[in-house]
Amino acid sequence: MANPLLDVVDLDVFYGDAQAIWGVSFCVHKGGMVALVGANGAGKSTLLNAISMFLHASRGRILWNGKPLLRLKPEEVVALGICHVPEGRRLFSRLTVMENLELGAFLPQARGALEESLEHVFALFPVLKQRRRQAAGSLSGGEQQMLAIARALMAKPRLLMLDEPSLGLAPVMVKLMFEIVQALNEQGVTLLLVEQNVYQTLEIASYVYVLKTGRLELEGTGSDLLKNPDFQKAYLGALK
Amino acid sequence: MTGFSSLTVFVQILINGILFGSMYGVAALGLSLIFGSMQIIFIAQGTVMILAAYFSYWMFTLVSLDPFFSLLLSLPVFMGLGWLIYRGLFYKVAAAGKNPSLLLAFGLMVLLQNLMSFAWTPNPRAIKTSYTALGLAVGSLQISFTRLMVFFIGLAATGLVFLFMRKSLWGKAVRAASEDMKAAAILGISPRRVSSLTFAIGIALAGVAGVATATTYPFDPYFGFLFSLKALIAVAFGGLGSVGGALLGGILLGVIESVGSYVISGGWADAISYAAFILVIMLKPEGLFGKALRSA
Repeated sequence: MANPLLDVVDLDVFYGDAQAIWGVSFCVHKGGMVALVGANGAGKSTLLNAISMFLHASRGRILWNGKPLLRLKPEEVVALGICHVPEGRRLFSRLTVMENLELGAFLPQARGALEESLEHVFALFPVLKQRRRQAAGSLSGGEQQMLAIARALMAKPRLLMLDEPSLGLAPVMVKLMFEIVQALNEQGVTLLLVEQNVYQTLEIASYVYVLKTGRLELEGTGSDLLKNPDFQKAYLGALK
Repeated sequence: MTGFSSLTVFVQILINGILFGSMYGVAALGLSLIFGSMQIIFIAQGTVMILAAYFSYWMFTLVSLDPFFSLLLSLPVFMGLGWLIYRGLFYKVAAAGKNPSLLLAFGLMVLLQNLMSFAWTPNPRAIKTSYTALGLAVGSLQISFTRLMVFFIGLAATGLVFLFMRKSLWGKAVRAASEDMKAAAILGISPRRVSSLTFAIGIALAGVAGVATATTYPFDPYFGFLFSLKALIAVAFGGLGSVGGALLGGILLGVIESVGSYVISGGWADAISYAAFILVIMLKPEGLFGKALRSA
């Protein structure tokens, strides 16, 4: 089998003196949709931050296409094709929707395909085309999340990492967001998804890793986990 | 007829204030850009202006280069200087926090003042060209040619910065990074390059303001600190992050000073501008022309 696109091996991550991640390993294959689930503080966002190099792992390795990533800066990680949509969206609220999208294609390799990428994201999110001259800060929560994803797509990612895309959205928007994520994956975008909406995540993910207080607790396909009694008790209890 | 003549005097004072204030505005724009993207209060801005004033003074005195031509030369020189100041001094220190950066800027100001004083004596200098005393008569108003040039230079500089920030990719990157540096980094925008660029533009604006000052007013090495304070006041008037606001803030400050010193007395000009500054900070901290910033 070919090398995984992203292979995280035995990672330890610290915030100052406090260890947040303990020996976590997982991998994402090209075309896959891998999800990291777990409670608040389980270390899901920390892992994404370690991959995009906002934090540097103190032990373990991150392999990209089989090659280890050394200490890079976040802006160098994007250039490899790893795009991170951080928690809280982090849009440029004073810039227009269009300017946010243009900056998504800041890197030279994405800049050349600007027009084509714009057409693509406007087809995916027609509402953004209507609002392209508005300040990003004036959009609704759901529209802002769409813009955050669209901005990352403008960079032509080989791996798209989404941190809690459904956070803070109305239930109908949450449903729509999961449909969008699934549609992106069907179009061939490789995804690494962090979510607290466990049930919906299990339904769309090809493989799921469950984190608990910084350690890997369980892993498997969505249907495996849905059948696992320990998992049911811990994460789906409310549904019974 | 006294009514008419006092109106003429008033308009004359207003025009003087507007023309003089545009210089504050240009220096303020540089300060506002640097603060907006790095949260550094570059208190040495006024002293860099004076350095630029000396630059055009020596260009004029040694090689008879016209000060308005040396302006073109000072642009790349001071952009380069700004880039060097950031890469050499602030890049490392800014990571340590805001207070070290402020101290560094203060230290740089004192160092520059003393170096200039040592090299070129603390005596005031002035550039005397054939057109320095030239005035344009409009009705019963007198408008100094050099001051009018300074005003147009201020407008042009502000307009160019505005266009750059709105239309160019790097300008948009500067605006994005000044809102959220981390979010900019995950799009591939290098914080170091954006900050270097911002610093280069900010210092180049100090250079423009300095050369413009030299064509109109006498200066000495210690004159700069006052300009830094005035530029800070103009930024507070205009609101942070607003390109046009910085220029308008500077012009407003110029008008307040010029009207104030006429109505009350010349000695009160500074006190009046500081009082206006305190009032604005108390009543409208987001600035008079800046839009209220959304706290996201």
